[in-house]
Amino acid sequence: MSKQSVGKPKRGVSLYSYSAEYGVTMTLEDALAEIHSIGATGVEILANGHIEGYPNPSEEWLENWDRLIDKYKLVPAEYGHWVDSRMYQGRELTSQESYEMLIRDFKLANRMGFKVLRTKLGVIDNELTPVRNWREFIEMALPMAEKYDVRMCPEIHAPTLLKSKMVEDYVEFIEKTGTKHFGLNVDFGVFETNRLPESEWEPGAFIMPESEHSPVEDIIPLLPYVYCCHAKFVKMSDDFVEVTIPYEKIVQTLIEHNWDGYLISEYEGPWKNEPGYAVDQVRKQHVMLKRLLGE
Amino acid sequence: MLERHCIQQRGFRNVEQDGKIVGFQINIRLVHYRGLWLSQLRPATVTVDGETFSGDQITWTINGVTYRQSELAERGDVHWGLLEPATLTVAKEGGLASGKHEVEVHFAFSSSYLPPVADTALGNRPHKRTLILV
Repeated sequence: MSKQSVGKPKRGVSLYSYSAEYGVTMTLEDALAEIHSIGATGVEILANGHIEGYPNPSEEWLENWDRLIDKYKLVPAEYGHWVDSRMYQGRELTSQESYEMLIRDFKLANRMGFKVLRTKLGVIDNELTPVRNWREFIEMALPMAEKYDVRMCPEIHAPTLLKSKMVEDYVEFIEKTGTKHFGLNVDFGVFETNRLPESEWEPGAFIMPESEHSPVEDIIPLLPYVYCCHAKFVKMSDDFVEVTIPYEKIVQTLIEHNWDGYLISEYEGPWKNEPGYAVDQVRKQHVMLKRLLGE
Repeated sequence: MLERHCIQQRGFRNVEQDGKIVGFQINIRLVHYRGLWLSQLRPATVTVDGETFSGDQITWTINGVTYRQSELAERGDVHWGLLEPATLTVAKEGGLASGKHEVEVHFAFSSSYLPPVADTALGNRPHKRTLILV
């Protein structure tokens, strides 16, 4: 009997966390083997990062992907892709171009076994407001999303708040269209309660500017639309506590509301380009997640 | 596997054409977490021992196909992946002398998911490495 009960979040890892190793000390197989070895069952890839020959991988590459997913008993949990609206200087992509970009990724995601997509849209201001025509091309793509059995999820990422115009707009769109093929990915950076002192970052690091954050309970009304979460983390202490984000409360809230999607580890702390550092951090985070999930 | 540095030692060589040395090549890898379309790239500059090259003095070769820097902006159909080093070919009559060279490569790229004011902020820094030409 599987220990995994109904209504509980599951553990996954984004290959983003291993960016410093990928192609340098780790192959795709090494990264998937590492995820398996920490007992996580879900993997997020970034399509144009981890699919060799993107957007036209060879049949041989795709067959090898199937083999690896099978060998390491992983679920393709989230497929990260982009609608790069500023692809050409001086203009934004048209709705038709954006639509075509989406469909290309739906087909690949479907072939690789992914059902949830982290759909990153281009933004037009410092508040990360998505491009003006997002409703148009997302609506155009809904029938194809249904056909290819995928859910597009823009990521709600700091400095965006869960109670904000942007999130209200997404929810209104979901309710108006009644679609099950567009939802949200909540990045736990939105819940940050402590800021890591600047002195702890490596020289030259990109540090997120200070911003307001959301209380954990603000996720509750959104949960029906949340198909995946980015378990963003910045620093694991040596006693396995994340020092900037209230993980205990987040995980407890998700369990109480029977949310059973994937928590996808995304390490975005200091020294993430230091060989081996992020790999250790992910391991530490999974010690914590395993405990909080009662596995 | 690739070398950790953006600038790879492997592939650093002079280029010969019709029996004459017409330039040199440097392989670079994309130190980022996702690949890029060529139209998202901004033209590179290469500086070797204080001499700077730019514009159409440099070509990019991706997966065996060579592009002029002035055509990058239109190539939204060609993708540069993380595991595929790009070869920069720099025109310089006579090439470089065998021995040690201080090499700097600088290029930027657009990230549509960042605020427009920060469009090319990610990864926008010079890469420097001492290379040995044999």
